Amino acid sequence: MTATPAAAANGGGPRNTGAPTGLAAMKVSKVGDRVFLGLSSGAAWLIMVVLAGVAIFLLIQAAPAIGANWQQNAALQDRTSGFTLGFANFWDYVSPLLFGTIWASFLALLLGAPVAIGIALFISHYAPRRVSGILGYLVDLLAAVPSVVFGLWGIVVIRPFLGPLNEFLNSYFGWIPLFSGDVAKGGSTLLAGAVVLAVMILPIITSISREIFLQTPSLHEEAALALGATRWEMIRLAVFPYARSGIISSVLLGLGRALGETMAIAMIVSPKLIFSVQLLTNDNPATIAANIANKFGGANQTQADALIATGLLLFVVSFAVNLVARWIVGRTSTGPRRRRIPTRKAA
Amino acid sequence: MKITRSGSIAAFALIGTLALAGCAATGGTNTPSATPTSKVGLNAIDPSLTGTITAAGSSAQVAAQTGYSAAFASVATGVTLNYNPEGSGGGRKDFIAGALDFAGSDAPLSADEATQATATFPGGALDIPVYLDGVAIAYNNKDASSLNLSAATLAKIFSGKITDWSDPAIAADNGGKALAAKKITVVTRSDSSGTMQNLTNFLGGEAASDWAAGPNLGTLPQIPGMDLQKGGAAVATEIAAVDGAIGGVDHSALGSLVAASVEGVKLSNDGIAEAMATGFAIKPNSTPGDLSGGFDYAKIKADTKAYPIPLVSYAIIPAQFKDAAKKKLVVAYLEFIASADGQKAGATKANSAELPDAILKQVVATLATVK
Repeated sequence: MTATPAAAANGGGPRNTGAPTGLAAMKVSKVGDRVFLGLSSGAAWLIMVVLAGVAIFLLIQAAPAIGANWQQNAALQDRTSGFTLGFANFWDYVSPLLFGTIWASFLALLLGAPVAIGIALFISHYAPRRVSGILGYLVDLLAAVPSVVFGLWGIVVIRPFLGPLNEFLNSYFGWIPLFSGDVAKGGSTLLAGAVVLAVMILPIITSISREIFLQTPSLHEEAALALGATRWEMIRLAVFPYARSGIISSVLLGLGRALGETMAIAMIVSPKLIFSVQLLTNDNPATIAANIANKFGGANQTQADALIATGLLLFVVSFAVNLVARWIVGRTSTGPRRRRIPTRKAA
Repeated sequence: MKITRSGSIAAFALIGTLALAGCAATGGTNTPSATPTSKVGLNAIDPSLTGTITAAGSSAQVAAQTGYSAAFASVATGVTLNYNPEGSGGGRKDFIAGALDFAGSDAPLSADEATQATATFPGGALDIPVYLDGVAIAYNNKDASSLNLSAATLAKIFSGKITDWSDPAIAADNGGKALAAKKITVVTRSDSSGTMQNLTNFLGGEAASDWAAGPNLGTLPQIPGMDLQKGGAAVATEIAAVDGAIGGVDHSALGSLVAASVEGVKLSNDGIAEAMATGFAIKPNSTPGDLSGGFDYAKIKADTKAYPIPLVSYAIIPAQFKDAAKKKLVVAYLEFIASADGQKAGATKANSAELPDAILKQVVATLATVK
């Protein structure tokens, strides 16, 4: 409460430089303030330490496996668990996994993002208030479902459900490489995995874009409507331009979730170390996270290091995705976006 | 997982008390004269033992371990077994790291692993056979109510050289009767498994010319169209669901699936025990008293009653425990497993075979040397 005038006195300047003077002005005498400052900055530092710790752990564990000559390494050519057998080096092993991870996540986004944004729009601009409240709550609830449960759902429901569709796509559209090949009779296809993954990334995309849509200045919306725009035109002219960066960042956060998803993919998809874009067969590229879940149990120490090295690569990819998301949000979050609407109206 | 498991162990302990009290009463009187190996049996367990045994590894052993521990805990009520079925390889890795009292493994420690183990346990590690079962070749083809497959045909199926049920090689194995054309879907594990290791041991041992990949492989080499599932249970479910599927599963996980005869021998506990008796030879590692071994597939092939793909699973323990109380507990537990009562308790629960007396005697002798 008492901090509000101080913050206002800072004139909304950058917080890091503003805070000490603001607090000094308030004479930090209250114990509660000090404790809270300590706790919150402690938490902030802790997360940095944890992140750095994870990165260092991954690097230390991964280094020997990345640097090793795989063909000469007895532990990596060990037959008893066998999964690193016959690979020339780390990159030989990880490249199909990397491809699989990105390909599966891309498919999930392709299927999930439009639906998620549609749900968000419906909640924010179409549904009656009561319906939107319930719907929003339900979508958020999806985020609380454990991925093992999604995996079981995928095995029991989605795989048989997609069976007829697989046959249809394969027999009529088999000339498209995506739908070619021998249809997996059990349904352990990448398509099934991508559908479940799409459902799993719905809540994060929906809840973030919903919040952004709701923040559209109502003046913009009313102005669009007043100029004779239909509701769809209003959304196109006022809401989407305003929310563009928000949508992109929500989609990229969804991508982050899809990249790291493990259990559901490990349970549903029949994984191989191959480059393949076929969606309907048993021959699907494995993802890094699911591959770790599958192989870690049987791995010897060096093989475990190799798996950790693939994890490091996943860490780097997720990090890059998040950085790109931040960059896009930062680039378009202020200024120009608001001015664009009037210019379009004028034209 | 662990909580549920110990809960179920407690529940089974209760049942075990009732069910096995009878066995002990009848078995106890016969023991001294009839079966020398059961000098350590249900009646010989020290009821004052207490403590928790932490173990992990082979998922093939889970059902049997539940059976062993339930019967054991029916006498020594203060003893709990926490067995985490993380897979044989994981069990060996955790054991070498010193995290377990014993590891369950479908394969003994490799030479490399045995050396690593001496770093944690100065006296080395011992592989003790505790469980005998077989790898079932489960299939789903309504045209064949019974099926026989030779080692060479199996090797060709699992390596992708035979892709259709109408293949003449399959007909030749079944008295020349050809099956209708249908695509074969090979279902196997996406994770590494001791079951596959035993299956490839058999393929490499008996059909080396058709199985280029060689023995002792925890994962089958990829072939186009191969259907990979996570865990033995998922493989069994997938075979049941896919028309034309075939794959190797633990005998104890077979459920309602149909198993093919291999080399003309039907899958049965007697057939598995026969294979153990004819083909198993102990090839110890450097630790004195070690009982790791392997199968001589040529001998098994020569025996027309022996099921060709047996699976022996081990408990791996330190030759020298750091903690005397823990040693007493683990050795007492393993001695019970090596008794007729113990083998029966596990076999009943897992629907598996029992280890032959000759091996159990050696197990008891080795356990006596554990420090």
